[in-house]
Amino acid sequence: MVLAGTVLLNECYKRVIVVWSYRFNFLLETFMIGFLFIGISFFVSGGSPAPEQMAPALLGYLTWFYAVFAISDMSQGIREETQTGTLEQMYMSPLPSGMLLAGRSLASLLISSTIVVLVGGILMLLLGIRIPIRLQGLPVFALTITGLYGFAFLLGGATLIFKQVSALSNLLSNMLLFLNGSFLTVERMPGWLENAARSLPTTQGIDVLRSVVLEGLPLAAVWQDGSLVWLTVQSALFLLVGWTVFLWSERMARTRGLLGQY
Amino acid sequence: MTTSKDRRRSAAIEIESLSKVFRRRSGDEISAVNRLDLAVEAGQVFGFLGSNGAGKTTTLKMACGLVIPTTGTVRLNGYDVRTQRGRAMQQIGAVLEGTRNVYWRMNAWQNLLYFGRIKGVSSSKWLKARAEKLLRELDLWERRKDPVGEYSRGMQQKVAIAAALIADPPIVLLDEPTLGLDVQASRTVQEWVTRLAKERGKTVVLTTHQLDMAESLCDRVAIMSRGRLLTHRPTGELLDLFRREFYQLRLRGIIAAEKIEAFPGFAACQENGHTVLSGEVGPEDSVFDLVERARLAGLDLISVSPAEPNLEEVFIELVGRAEQPPADAKEPQAGQARAVSETTR
Repeated sequence: MVLAGTVLLNECYKRVIVVWSYRFNFLLETFMIGFLFIGISFFVSGGSPAPEQMAPALLGYLTWFYAVFAISDMSQGIREETQTGTLEQMYMSPLPSGMLLAGRSLASLLISSTIVVLVGGILMLLLGIRIPIRLQGLPVFALTITGLYGFAFLLGGATLIFKQVSALSNLLSNMLLFLNGSFLTVERMPGWLENAARSLPTTQGIDVLRSVVLEGLPLAAVWQDGSLVWLTVQSALFLLVGWTVFLWSERMARTRGLLGQY
Repeated sequence: MTTSKDRRRSAAIEIESLSKVFRRRSGDEISAVNRLDLAVEAGQVFGFLGSNGAGKTTTLKMACGLVIPTTGTVRLNGYDVRTQRGRAMQQIGAVLEGTRNVYWRMNAWQNLLYFGRIKGVSSSKWLKARAEKLLRELDLWERRKDPVGEYSRGMQQKVAIAAALIADPPIVLLDEPTLGLDVQASRTVQEWVTRLAKERGKTVVLTTHQLDMAESLCDRVAIMSRGRLLTHRPTGELLDLFRREFYQLRLRGIIAAEKIEAFPGFAACQENGHTVLSGEVGPEDSVFDLVERARLAGLDLISVSPAEPNLEEVFIELVGRAEQPPADAKEPQAGQARAVSETTR
């Protein structure tokens, strides 16, 4: 437990230092994220967005941001570390690589949460959006993030072997924004697209989060209507498959000697 | 007498029947390392030499657990890299060639603390004291708070070495540690390597193309070619195998070609207005015969000196023979005269 805590703190320590060293870029990106939300909201609402309509959109948008951050961390981040040789140094650790990966993911989550709180808070203040804080939303959020990181592990595993997956990760990140129901609810999509959208990470999570946080439904109600059950199953599947694929890819990379090759 | 059990007990690195075959997408197979058997004793500086593609780096990466061998085992202080990975990784620190090895956006201090924890060091107090000691010893203390990306190439390499040593591992693997460094930085790294082995008792394995450096630093060398081990001996012993009666005669002035014919088999060159003849003295001749021949030819002899074989010559000869099929790549037996191409002299 102490060791796991040390690993987590160590990864956070590294991430904070690296992010701080890019602080100007980081600030610009944060500004861009906020600006993008305002722009899309105006566009979708025909120029007159109402705060009560923007709350579900913001909730979805901020969840999407977690997805962007996780995907970038696991694909672009791993690719960069392959090039610099720090990934090989990480794999020379006596600690299990799964523990390091988990520490890395938690550090990524911590940084993205900081940005989300910052950007979300500013947007809520600026646009008068109100998202109530409901503790029952926490387990739903945790499930959503769990599935999301499972999906990111899939991409991370692919990066270990194929290296050039940045175009794919960009495509997936952008696809998620338009298909996860942030701005256009999935119910309004054609049947086939709705099914496809619901199979993506974060879509179901956003749906359940809205029900619990914005509509005030208790967890029992979303469990009974099946949406929370589906989210649980989907997140567990994403995590299981993503973790398995990552560990398999790691083994493949070590067999083919790809950990330090770009 | 040293038994095989004793040898194993004192071996820091034991490599047994190690092979690595990479499969290309086309289906072709490349044998990077072929049935390698090697034992590196504790406290030695061990040189791993070979041309590009000889299999040195692949071997090092298998020792680091970064590449899974096709067959065979690597044990670090008795711990199998494959089956006792955690314990085995506690035995080594490595600086790999061609990469940064550390985070350039972080400063030296931050890098050492980060990699110390990655290496499983749990005591913050011990880690900080160790980081300070390493940074002071490597003359990096004053600039410890500057991002590594702003350092000179030599300083960056020193940070990478310090990061490899942060958990005080008994074995240090250095892949081309002086590549791209200027003379001063290269010398600092070499001095540091010597200190690690002689004063700290660490086992240092280094790969390098700088054979003069390997000759001066390494207690023992292994030469590889095309994935195979050609030889593996103490450096002095290897040089002795190639030592022969080889002399240089320095003659005053520029000597005419017909007079040089009195020294068959000798190569001539001019240096500072003098003529230098270099060649092997066969078993039927002696140095006195050479001097006599010079006297009879009316040549003004300035000096006669024996030429010692160096690791570069040994390397070129061994690798050259190994890479010329179907030549036998075996090293010579002690005392056997060897003809070394004059171009290597």
